[in-house]
Amino acid sequence: MIPELTRAVGVPRLAGLSYPMGRPLGRPRDADGQRAVLRATLELLVSASGPDSYAELLFEWPESPAQARNASKGLAPPPIVELLKKKPWLLARLYSGRIPHRERCLTGRGDR
Amino acid sequence: MAIDSYRFLDFATRQVMKAWAARQEPGVIPFTLLAKSLRECTVALVSTAGVARNDDRPFDQDGERRDPWWSDPSFRAIPLGTTEKDVRLYHLHIDPRFGEADLDVVLPMRRLAELAGEGVVGRPAPTHYSVMGYILEPKELVEKTAPAIAERMRAERVDAAALVPA
Repeated sequence: MIPELTRAVGVPRLAGLSYPMGRPLGRPRDADGQRAVLRATLELLVSASGPDSYAELLFEWPESPAQARNASKGLAPPPIVELLKKKPWLLARLYSGRIPHRERCLTGRGDR
Repeated sequence: MAIDSYRFLDFATRQVMKAWAARQEPGVIPFTLLAKSLRECTVALVSTAGVARNDDRPFDQDGERRDPWWSDPSFRAIPLGTTEKDVRLYHLHIDPRFGEADLDVVLPMRRLAELAGEGVVGRPAPTHYSVMGYILEPKELVEKTAPAIAERMRAERVDAAALVPA
């Protein structure tokens, strides 16, 4: 879904696909499309010869990014987005990965 | 990389994801060659869509609403044959309606069974799994949840697993 991020983490085999989040196999009730994505993904189990094997699945999503986002219009924003609207200075923590939990564990306190 | 990883993300999410990708240090990447042909393999799926059966405990969304830096790092087992009628998606960062309309959008168990019918894979595992994929602090996920899933896969003689990000 976001192969650059997944690959950066380090995985044995990765099939990269540019589909919108929440719909990794394709559209609901598109059995043929879903099966094609799954089959191409599983074929990497055979074709990969070593760690960090990467194959791009060049399936095209049938909508523009704006259309794909519009399909989820009206959905409540995630809690972290609501928090950052109230406390925008915490955005730097999200960018940098300085997660308050981790700091609370280490120091017994953290800024929420 | 020809694929644009960030094509469907809004600007702010894109910037955060890029920053995370740039900061990652993969270390030693594990790798195991398939010990047999794919058509002989038992295959399991792991979805990050926060899928839980209606007769199982939901993922803890209230906890995340109380503390947005935290999210539920546990897992749910999803037996083969489970359909969208039997589940809900507990994930506050994706639109759950697509997977709730057709579970194969996020956990393609029926498609896997079809591929087994075509002889592409050996058989689908009796059990598949889901976690909730937005976890900023992955310690428990890595140290407890993933080994517990792997142990159950071993018990069901799973040969290969495909992780399906949502």
